[in-house]
Amino acid sequence: MNSKLFNTPGGRVFDVFNVVLLGLLGILTVLPFLYIVGNSFATEAEITGRSFFLIPREFSFSAYAYIFSSSTIFRSIGVSIFVTVAGTFINLFFTMTMAYPLSRSDFWGRSTLMNIVIFSMLFSGGMIPTYLVVRSLGLIDSYWALMLPGAISAFNLIVVKNFFQQMPAGLEEAARIDGCTDLGVLWRIVLPLSKPVIATFALFYAVGHWNNFFSALLYINDSDKWPLQIMLRQIVLLSQGTVGDMANMDPNFVQPPEQSIKMAVIVVGTIPILLVYPFLQKHFAKGVMLGSIKG
Amino acid sequence: MHMGQRKHWKKAGRAAGASLLTLAMLAGCSSSDSGTEAGGDTANAAGADKGKLSIMLPNFEAENPPENSPVILKLEELTNTDVDLQWVPSSSYDDKFNITLASGKLPDLMVVLGKSPSFINAARAGAFWELDAYLADYPNLNAMNEIVRNNASIDGKTYGIYRARELGRNGVTIRKDWLENLGLDDPKTLDEFYEVMRAFTFDDPDGNGKDDTYGLVASKFNGPWDNMQIWFGAPNKWGEDGQGKLIPAHETEAYMEALRFFRKLYEEGLVNKDFAVMDATKLPDPFVNGQAGVMIDVADNAQRMDQKILEKDPNATDRVDVLQAMEGPDGLRDMPTSGYSGLIAVSKSSVKTEDELKKVLSFLDQLNEAELQDLLYNGIEGQQYEKKGEYIVPTTDKLLLRDLTGLNQILMFVPENRYLPIETTPVREKVAEVQIANRDIVIPNPGEPLISDVYAKKGPQLDNIINDARTKFIVGQMDEAGFQQAIQLWKTSGGEEYVQEINELYAALKE
Amino acid sequence: MNERNRSAATLQADGSVLSGKKKEARWKKELRRNKWLYVLVAPGFLYFAVFKLLPMWGIVIAFQDYQPFLGIRGSDWVGFENFTTFFSNPDFFRLLRNTLVLAIYDLVFFFPAPILIALLLNEVRFHWFKRTVQTLVYVPHFVSMVIIASITYVFLTPQGGVLYEMIAWITGRPVDVLSNPDTFRPLIIGQMMWKEMGWGTIIFLAALAGVDTEQYEAAVVDGAGRMRRMWHVTLPAIRATIVILLILRLGNFLDTGFEQIYLMTNSLNRDVADVFDTYVYTVGITQGAFSYSTAVGLFKSLVGIVLVLGSNHIAKRFGHSGIY
Repeated sequence: MNSKLFNTPGGRVFDVFNVVLLGLLGILTVLPFLYIVGNSFATEAEITGRSFFLIPREFSFSAYAYIFSSSTIFRSIGVSIFVTVAGTFINLFFTMTMAYPLSRSDFWGRSTLMNIVIFSMLFSGGMIPTYLVVRSLGLIDSYWALMLPGAISAFNLIVVKNFFQQMPAGLEEAARIDGCTDLGVLWRIVLPLSKPVIATFALFYAVGHWNNFFSALLYINDSDKWPLQIMLRQIVLLSQGTVGDMANMDPNFVQPPEQSIKMAVIVVGTIPILLVYPFLQKHFAKGVMLGSIKG
Repeated sequence: MHMGQRKHWKKAGRAAGASLLTLAMLAGCSSSDSGTEAGGDTANAAGADKGKLSIMLPNFEAENPPENSPVILKLEELTNTDVDLQWVPSSSYDDKFNITLASGKLPDLMVVLGKSPSFINAARAGAFWELDAYLADYPNLNAMNEIVRNNASIDGKTYGIYRARELGRNGVTIRKDWLENLGLDDPKTLDEFYEVMRAFTFDDPDGNGKDDTYGLVASKFNGPWDNMQIWFGAPNKWGEDGQGKLIPAHETEAYMEALRFFRKLYEEGLVNKDFAVMDATKLPDPFVNGQAGVMIDVADNAQRMDQKILEKDPNATDRVDVLQAMEGPDGLRDMPTSGYSGLIAVSKSSVKTEDELKKVLSFLDQLNEAELQDLLYNGIEGQQYEKKGEYIVPTTDKLLLRDLTGLNQILMFVPENRYLPIETTPVREKVAEVQIANRDIVIPNPGEPLISDVYAKKGPQLDNIINDARTKFIVGQMDEAGFQQAIQLWKTSGGEEYVQEINELYAALKE
Repeated sequence: MNERNRSAATLQADGSVLSGKKKEARWKKELRRNKWLYVLVAPGFLYFAVFKLLPMWGIVIAFQDYQPFLGIRGSDWVGFENFTTFFSNPDFFRLLRNTLVLAIYDLVFFFPAPILIALLLNEVRFHWFKRTVQTLVYVPHFVSMVIIASITYVFLTPQGGVLYEMIAWITGRPVDVLSNPDTFRPLIIGQMMWKEMGWGTIIFLAALAGVDTEQYEAAVVDGAGRMRRMWHVTLPAIRATIVILLILRLGNFLDTGFEQIYLMTNSLNRDVADVFDTYVYTVGITQGAFSYSTAVGLFKSLVGIVLVLGSNHIAKRFGHSGIY
């Protein structure tokens, strides 16, 4: 972008102010995560002894050694990656194909469909009926059960539909005159112009899959097929049962997982999905739409 | 829950003849993990005798033992049963339990974590076998403790084998070295207890010259207060009023007496200022860090504290001791646990006939033998532990330990613990001592076996009213008049009906 | 915004009531004309029918005393009992007030935060800085609430929390933020901002990516300053997105989230902390209250749908496209 646009004295003051503010915000928001990373490398003694620290006095890799000593974690990371990638493609396919017709005001039946979508966004049959449907489709213990029941988020669908609606209508008209069918318009015009939108919702869906543990708990009995989050959640929540009557009765007491292991599991469970964003980020660059129209 | 596999089983059963048919049906309605197929094949090869059992159970660890775990294989060999374990992470056990009930396809055995309404209703509707008529034939199961069995019963009937837990489990974990530093004896009465806490707070028990210690650590968790109240003579939730009627604990004078004591502790700074906002999981931290000198919780926590302090500082031996309850105006009294932690129930939809039930019960009976307790509790000698005299030394190899992870969830310890104990430490010995001594002084809750509809609807709200008022009173936000108002609110919010219902149920039970 | 009116005739078809015969003819004609659109919409429609509408029968358990083992057929019908229990609960108005106040706090303070951040980020000229900040602010989204609650405690505990000491030092008197009912709502909103603000900016950044740079240049030519450009070019460009997200947010107006509030509640602030979501959970612990929580959920959904349709209507009156 033309930098001359911003070179006024007032603009510079604003810039400084803006950078400082956002910088502070960045630090503030990343702090808890650094705390977790710091803890994951700390010894148990240091964690109970010091209330807050980012860099441990004594580095210990034992938490990671423990986590990666198990074959379970690699398998479950594999499951998570597969479900996330495949599931996101399914999501995008279902969402984009449905959003486009809904964005067309000449699509007869649109308001009925929109009513269904909005209704199902606000009302839900609940856990048990959905389970019974999934079971009657024979999806129990199948990865499909982790991907199909959430193939479209009504929320995402509505937002995507509205993004499509905001697209300049002239382009589509032009394509139609060139002999494109609706399918062609979606594939050649609408989707290429919607890269930031696709990137955004790919991210939303991917994160949703990555963090989802509940579907797997309900629909997958075979623990070999469990995604990472089940294990992660279990470790994070485990230490909550250590006081009172719920405390492990075992005199040999298998210790509740050490804090550092808990933290290391969070790091391991978060880093892969954190890495997705920088890759998608380039699609948020300004002027994408303009560029494609001109080019 | 696999239809395909279910059919497969039935087919196999028919082909192999009548003797296999029953077995196939036993397996018929149970859901299958992967790997059971392999197990099933060996079952067929091994002959008609080998039973097959599916068990749904919670795992409190992050990982399940692998299906080819030597411990599980040994279990299958010793019981001559193919065991299909359906692990459910503990944090979501209730959801999975309800889903399983709703699906109508129950595994043969289910660990039930508590008398939840969905379990009670399912039991009343005939989802599980009522076991009373059958237990006499099984020496271990028949030796269930009557009090605990009663606590775990529904409408006076036994719908499962309880998983026994120590009744007198609670204790006072205390810094032994602080007592020694200050030249104090173990506190035995409430007055001595108070003096010790004062000394821990003001007399620099760790000798570092700083005012950085206090007496008792408490948290959001109500346990410690509930426990101490009983020392003062308050009943355990419900007490008889002398005319055979039950009244709630908070209406007794002893309860108020206890509250005043707690308030004094707080005012004088003998308890941590932030207890009302502190998460229960943080309870051990101040004790381990040498800030607090006393922690009132299950006695076995003393072992954990001992070990944690040692982890922090390998030279810090002999720092932790555990004591019994403090003697109050009514003598030595302590809060018991309910004596069990969940049940193992037998599903009627999978275990269809009495013959099948009997096989299942002998399996359960066998699990209580020393050999099986040892196997599922300690593992296999040479793998999960080494023997040292009459003790065991567990391995530290986490991979080997994983083969054993969570398997103790199917143990019932009826009538008693029979596994080889771990080598004792002084603290461990003391814990065992305290817990055994506690059995004579625990005050049972007469309302424990009663299932109240009012409580099912309003229980947590009612409990919140009293517990919140107690906390507010302790921290000085509420006076005694305010507390009496809270009791009135409790009554009008459903407490009155609750008391009435409990008394009706109680009278009916006594007959 | 650029609602496309492809032809006046088709627009009319959308809402107009036609007689049966004519309608059928129209139906066939539409199918032929837009056949590809119907092909495209089919998978999505099937999805909603199977996974969303089919299980809807589950809602009837709000009128039952549902027991999982007995199923819907075996459970007793109780009519509106679950609703009357809920509305006649002596705590109902307290719960309603707490829920509403928190929801309004959320709307006023939390909702605009990501928009503001997105606008500020949009003005940053150093690409590496912008990217870095974008990445950093969205990290807390992945930190579970349990951990956030635990960090909050560590910072704010009167037993030596760093922030607690700082507040005491600055204001001259100690404030126990964790137990004080007055600070409960700011605390909750603060935690939410910390956790979700950055995540929320993503969708606005996507909307901003569509802004035509020529419009900025035109604004500069007109002599517009930084703030005016933001106000007159950037904000209008994302206004449609803001309106849609606002309407959708209203659909879950009474959902305050359960876990966070549950974790931050204690005996001393329960009076302001109890909301519908935590209440349903508390009741559910002992009751396994499927029916009851479904009834409360149904109530919240009804409020949501009224708010969505109402606000959508208002948005259209003001010339926005609304959600549909």
